[in-house]
Amino acid sequence: MQRLFSRPEFGPLVLLIVELIVFQSINPQFLSVLNISNTLAFSVELGLVALGMTLLMTSGEFDLSVGSVFGLSPVIMWSLFNSGALPLEAAFVVGLLIAAVIGFVNGWFVIRLKIPSFLVTLGMLLIARGTALFITDGFPQRTWDASGQWLAEILVGDFYIGPFRIYMSLFWFILAAVILGYVLTQTKFGNWVQASGGNPNAAQARGVNVGRTKIILFVLSAMLSAFAGIISSIRTSAANPNSGTGYELEVIAMVVIGGTALTGGRGTIIGTVIGIFILRIMRNGIVMVGVPGLAYNIFIGAIILGMMALHSGLERRHQSGN
Amino acid sequence: MAEELVLMDNVSKYYGRVRALDGVTFRVFKNEIVGLLGDNGAGKSTLIKVLSGAVRATGGTISIKGRKVDIRSTADAIANGIETIYQDSALVTQLSIARNLFLGREPIKGPGFFNKMDQAKMEEVATALLKRVGISKNIPVTTPIGSLSGGERQAVAIARAMHFHSDLIILDEPTNNLGVAETQGVLRFVRNARDTGHSCIFIAHNIHHVFEVVDRIVVMRQGKVVADDIDPKKTSVRHVEEVITGMSEAELRNAVAH
Repeated sequence: MQRLFSRPEFGPLVLLIVELIVFQSINPQFLSVLNISNTLAFSVELGLVALGMTLLMTSGEFDLSVGSVFGLSPVIMWSLFNSGALPLEAAFVVGLLIAAVIGFVNGWFVIRLKIPSFLVTLGMLLIARGTALFITDGFPQRTWDASGQWLAEILVGDFYIGPFRIYMSLFWFILAAVILGYVLTQTKFGNWVQASGGNPNAAQARGVNVGRTKIILFVLSAMLSAFAGIISSIRTSAANPNSGTGYELEVIAMVVIGGTALTGGRGTIIGTVIGIFILRIMRNGIVMVGVPGLAYNIFIGAIILGMMALHSGLERRHQSGN
Repeated sequence: MAEELVLMDNVSKYYGRVRALDGVTFRVFKNEIVGLLGDNGAGKSTLIKVLSGAVRATGGTISIKGRKVDIRSTADAIANGIETIYQDSALVTQLSIARNLFLGREPIKGPGFFNKMDQAKMEEVATALLKRVGISKNIPVTTPIGSLSGGERQAVAIARAMHFHSDLIILDEPTNNLGVAETQGVLRFVRNARDTGHSCIFIAHNIHHVFEVVDRIVVMRQGKVVADDIDPKKTSVRHVEEVITGMSEAELRNAVAH
């Protein structure tokens, strides 16, 4: 029991349950079938980005360019497809590969040139967003030709489990969460990720290739952002060059609320999943209980501060050995 | 004569125009604990940094078991069987004892594709190692390093060096900031390491700690080795202090008085 309380995921889990109870008691429609289905569809897109960011932040780095990649990759994919240059499947692969290159460049600058990830990925945020706007002249790319394509069905097709309308994207999210949770806690690579964030010099001395580990995670983070952006573009029938703007900060908030340390060394996929739902349910819930949507950021800011206070308290207790 | 493990021959190191090491020749034999002493700035830290791969020498050679080696990094030193234990710096505080012990050399279970660590085996070996190094308290090996005391952290680092068959364990100020009981613990770990076939270099400001544990004392002064075969059983702390400072007993007393 004591161990349960001291886990970093415990505080966020309590907050999530409180949120659900409060919103449901004010508006009984909150836990309706329709609302649950809608919230799940939205949450998993940002959630995919947050999962990649969790591993990257555990290794002691972070990525501000995820929102721009979320916008850029689908724009490239649909531009190639709509112009008839490539079939949809090939355009999809190109979209992901471009993200991989962006992630690699981020990692290369951070590791080889030793520039802080804040500055490198800030630069990349502008480059990726600028590219998306430039190649589209600022106009959204239509994606409705996707209907009936098997790739689109696999990515965002929907089906019903009882009354719940479930999008395929939920399946991809669960799959990514299970795999990355396994990687972080059970594998040798996961041990290296944590060591790279906790004490890079010690890890390097033990033969851990800290640079390569981090570059892999930058690539992973960018590719998951691209994947999420593509899913989002098909679901909304438009690849908007502005989509994903501001997502980087929301994603980082989700990750730290869940209990992953901004300074690296400690990360939790379960915590991130809880963090994702805390923020998305807050966004959805305050509208449903009649608080103006514009007040959303006030609540998010308060949650971040409260959770950080909780985690730092836990960390101090942890370090003092209690 | 015992078998020679490490020979640093005529090693020098310049930082710009400052000469930190001046043609130092330094040996470590198998199964011995060497105490390396010297005043601040005498060059002992630089010597250790060269041997552990933290800095590169300007001149001279290093041989291990009679074979010349080139040590460019800490990882090179470890690959050559030289493990350096600084307070705190060699461990990841967020990770458990078992995960730290095997960091970089985690055993894998099942098909390689799944990259799954054999955590049961890691914990089993770690538990046995902690016993072997002589930790008396019963600490679960899943405890994060951050929750351990300074002495316990040293023990984990020493255990790791022993397990991975480091021939030479360098301990840089291992008893700093430790209480009396913890210091005794660390000294015991060091003796255990020697008795199981490892050599050690022991650096400490506290000469009494050095006297308690080492087989041979080497003294450095102004970047040179000024004595390399002092037997702690046949000499006094006072005499070693004279060698360290280069002053006679009367001069020392005078210096302290002023």
